[in-house]
Amino acid sequence: MATAMPTHSPGPSSLDDRSVGPLIGGAYAVDTTRVLPGAGGGLPAFVAVDHRGGDDGLMAVQARPAAPARANVLPVLLANPTEGVLGPLAHGLGRGAGGEEAWFVICRAPPGAPLWSVALGNPAATNAQPWSERELLDCVLRPAAHTLERLHLRRVTHRAIRPDNLFRPGPGEPVTLGCAWAAPPASLQPALYEPPYSAMCLPSGRGDGSIADDVYALGVTLLILALGRVPLAGFDEAAIIRRKLELGSFAALAGEERLPPTIADLVRGMLAEDPEHRPPPALLTDPAAARARRVAARPPRRGQRPLQIGLQTAWNARTLAYAMACDPEQAARHLRSGGVDRWIRRNLGDSVLAARLEETLHMRGADGESEDQRADSLMVMRAVAALDPLAPLCWRSLALWPDGIGPALAEVAGAASSPSLGAAPPPPGGPDRAEVLQQIVATEAVSAWAAARPERCDPVLLRLEAHQHRNLLRTRGLAGGLARLRYTLNPLLPCASNLLQGRFVARLADLLPALEAAATVPEFRKQPTIDAEIAAFLAARSEHRIEGELASLADSAQPERAALAQLRLLAGLQLRLSGHRLPALAAWLAEQLKPALAIWRNRERRQRIERELAGLTGSGQLAAMLAVLEDPQAQAADAREFHDAMLAVAAIDAELARIATGGAPRADTARRIGQEAALIIGAMTLAVAAVAAVLS
Amino acid sequence: MTARVPAIADGKAKPPRTGSKLGSLLWLQGLSCGALATLATPTAVVAGILLAPGLLSVVMDQAPGKPTARSVMLFGLAATVQPLATLWRTGHHMGTALDIAGDSTVLATAWAAQGGAWLLCELTPLIITLSIEAVSRSRAARLRAARAAYEEQWGLPPEGQQAAEG
Repeated sequence: MATAMPTHSPGPSSLDDRSVGPLIGGAYAVDTTRVLPGAGGGLPAFVAVDHRGGDDGLMAVQARPAAPARANVLPVLLANPTEGVLGPLAHGLGRGAGGEEAWFVICRAPPGAPLWSVALGNPAATNAQPWSERELLDCVLRPAAHTLERLHLRRVTHRAIRPDNLFRPGPGEPVTLGCAWAAPPASLQPALYEPPYSAMCLPSGRGDGSIADDVYALGVTLLILALGRVPLAGFDEAAIIRRKLELGSFAALAGEERLPPTIADLVRGMLAEDPEHRPPPALLTDPAAARARRVAARPPRRGQRPLQIGLQTAWNARTLAYAMACDPEQAARHLRSGGVDRWIRRNLGDSVLAARLEETLHMRGADGESEDQRADSLMVMRAVAALDPLAPLCWRSLALWPDGIGPALAEVAGAASSPSLGAAPPPPGGPDRAEVLQQIVATEAVSAWAAARPERCDPVLLRLEAHQHRNLLRTRGLAGGLARLRYTLNPLLPCASNLLQGRFVARLADLLPALEAAATVPEFRKQPTIDAEIAAFLAARSEHRIEGELASLADSAQPERAALAQLRLLAGLQLRLSGHRLPALAAWLAEQLKPALAIWRNRERRQRIERELAGLTGSGQLAAMLAVLEDPQAQAADAREFHDAMLAVAAIDAELARIATGGAPRADTARRIGQEAALIIGAMTLAVAAVAAVLS
Repeated sequence: MTARVPAIADGKAKPPRTGSKLGSLLWLQGLSCGALATLATPTAVVAGILLAPGLLSVVMDQAPGKPTARSVMLFGLAATVQPLATLWRTGHHMGTALDIAGDSTVLATAWAAQGGAWLLCELTPLIITLSIEAVSRSRAARLRAARAAYEEQWGLPPEGQQAAEG
């Protein structure tokens, strides 16, 4: 069954500067001229060359911009190399085949061909030979279970186990799990390999899940290899999910097929709907013990007659929950009319479930103050959780797990901005996914969902997280909103600002060089250096609290504050991160800073500062520019002198007014002085005349 | 708007003379003049003729305190002292008084002195007013120049514009 090794041959290194690009992790270069088809677990993979150690047999898996690599898993596996899986050796920025910047995860190249290199639905797959029981146990189950156990100990899930992502050097050799770190968990898994509660989610919203989900995928893989063909090959994903929910995964996939008894027992346990019923990886390393472990799961009660919710027909509580999740508006009508309650009591005969559902309707009454659509969405979400506690959070036809909100936001934003970023397009006529996700966060739906199924999750932790997410969403100005949340929850998501011209800026250190390049584009020079996307990116990535600065950016009433805030933020970045010269960015900022110069009232001082800024622009040191503008002593002196000048001008104005209005008083004074002078002269003359008369 | 309370209300200025007091003073002045004319008729004749412009200005000057008349009288008295002294030294006769009063030199001197005093009283305020105005204009020009310097240095609005903005 195993096909030939993909058409790659490491061969002699023929890297040149054009194809290498920057070194990842200071050691690895991506040779985009040598493609490794099928090696990246659904993502483009290329030969990677170790420039430090000369290590051969490496590959670089290219992540899609709207589907960032798993930032929470990569450091764990880098610190703890794990045997049996193509674990990451490094990750970082490189250049893709088209010369574009992209994020790469460097792994060891697959040791051989994938177990199954034929895509699902390919007729060629139907002619493959079934694997023997011994080969399945020794080459697939045991090594994969050991690897999963090692990952489980590191609290890491794989979420990309399927035949075309399991590799082995040759027949009889143990398999190695492929790379699963360059995309959101399970986002590239077809619905067949995922539990229905994961498959129904937005691909990027499936979350890390648990190791039990990897056990499920391994079970499906075993089943396919044992059958020698892909079951449900002609079904679309929705039909596969529905069939799994209706019949149970094992029955849906295996049906009446003949399987080796050991394999059948193992797969039946591995495909249990409840993750807690699936054997843990440690148990699977001993297939005999795993086979002996049987967890009796009660099959769902089947109604005597079906209930029609929209286009979906429900026969049991699981399919009812799924139907309600698919068509929430119809579900809300049925819930309010009491149709669902009646069907559960009369057809399913499950009064406990009906009572639980009734509580949901009572809560709808409590939500009556809020907006109708939101209250209905909350009601349906709670009803789905009550009917099927294994189901994910379902909100307005969108399903996701709480830890998948971040990648889901990235996918939705990517689909909105550019369909080519690797994000799935939204269904036609469906609600706006970004709006739905925003509602989920704004209403703290995760908290309500957790409260509706407390035995299946940690409601306290989820409530805390939901509250934090809502606070980020509600943060006013450029430091908050959906963009801030998106970058906060996706540490490796690149900034989506148009100013960056498609450059892949996922880390703060990459922002300044990208802005330096943007500064050379004349049309960008008219725009602010920090737009809304960059502001949200900065707020999410910065270790320091910069909310105050970002609030200043949004202050259109005081452009000088916004300009200074831009300089302050970027100068801080330059000091902390690179320290490289940024002359073009400095010139761009100097243009933006013209309003900021208005805070200097003294004309000579302002001209001197303008000259100093122009001089510093060439050096490209933003901190020096900031120091010139933010000199507290000079500012205080300027303010003081301005105050003195104002007082002096007020005194001048008062005196001028007095001069202008003082004509009549001056005339009176002059008359009085003249008369008094005449009197004095007369008196003196009289005195002289009297003395002269007496003496003569 | 309340009217400004006159200073008299504070008791800081002299109260104006009442009609009865003015009448008493006038009566006393008339009595004195009558006594002088009766007891020293030659002196009264000389003084009356030589001080005629001054007496006329006393009647004509309607300004409070009669400042012009006072100055005219002072100058007139200064020109009359010597003829009166001569009259008293020569026996204080009516003939002598008429001779002195008829002396054109004496008469012209006395009247010229009083005319000069009147001219002085009229011209001095005018000259002083012109001087003060010149000083004020010079001061205003200096102030405007200083203000223009402040406007240029600190980006302040011009005088009229600032007032309009204010």
